Amino acid sequence: MERALRFEANYPHPPSKVWKVVTTREHLARWLMANDFEPRVGHRFQFRAKPIGGWDGIVSCEVLEIVSERRLVMTWSSNVIDTKLTITLEPDGDGTRFTLVHSGFKGLKPVLTSYLLGMGWKGHVHKAIPALVAQLQSEGRL
Amino acid sequence: MRAQTLDVFRAVSDPTRREMLDLLRRGERTASELAEPFDMSQPAASQHLKVLREAGVVRVRKDGRQRIYRLDPAPLREVFEWSQYYERFWKQRLAALGRVLDETT
Repeated sequence: MERALRFEANYPHPPSKVWKVVTTREHLARWLMANDFEPRVGHRFQFRAKPIGGWDGIVSCEVLEIVSERRLVMTWSSNVIDTKLTITLEPDGDGTRFTLVHSGFKGLKPVLTSYLLGMGWKGHVHKAIPALVAQLQSEGRL
Repeated sequence: MRAQTLDVFRAVSDPTRREMLDLLRRGERTASELAEPFDMSQPAASQHLKVLREAGVVRVRKDGRQRIYRLDPAPLREVFEWSQYYERFWKQRLAALGRVLDETT
């Protein structure tokens, strides 16, 4: 099973405005990262930030799908992960319901299985994991 | 995010290595038992096992001429913490998006 992280927010701004801030380079840089985004399917671009840990600070993306003021899908790959980002906007009264799904965290499920089936239940691991598993389950991500 | 976390993440990012871990989940295996299901050469299998060993997710012991591997799941915990990195990251970014929207006309 592929793991996905899902986030929702309601912004008191119309979808047209949220779309602008989500799909223009200058605005994206203000809330996400410096980038060379273009709102065009097939466009390859990068987000760049300060390297952290083993991540080199570069996220390479390709725009997969664009539906104006509704939906933006792109790949989200770095030297450590190969994932996909889906942003959806829906009108919500005068505002916008914003949903971001970061999917494709492959490999986490088998790892988790290793834990669940009785390995490594000792020391700090045995305290931390059940709590985390319960959390993932309650969020419907397991 | 520490360097070893990324090693662990790299270790589990490969399907062959994930299957190897899955085999080890069921108990100790020799190097040749781990290579066998994948129809790959012993050196290729050894390379995968080396990655797993360096990430600290498998331990190896010698029994006569055999090298016997077992799973050490403790470092895998870090992968969870790593995925939680993105959990925090996006929460912060969505809050920042809200602020940018408020400041933008």
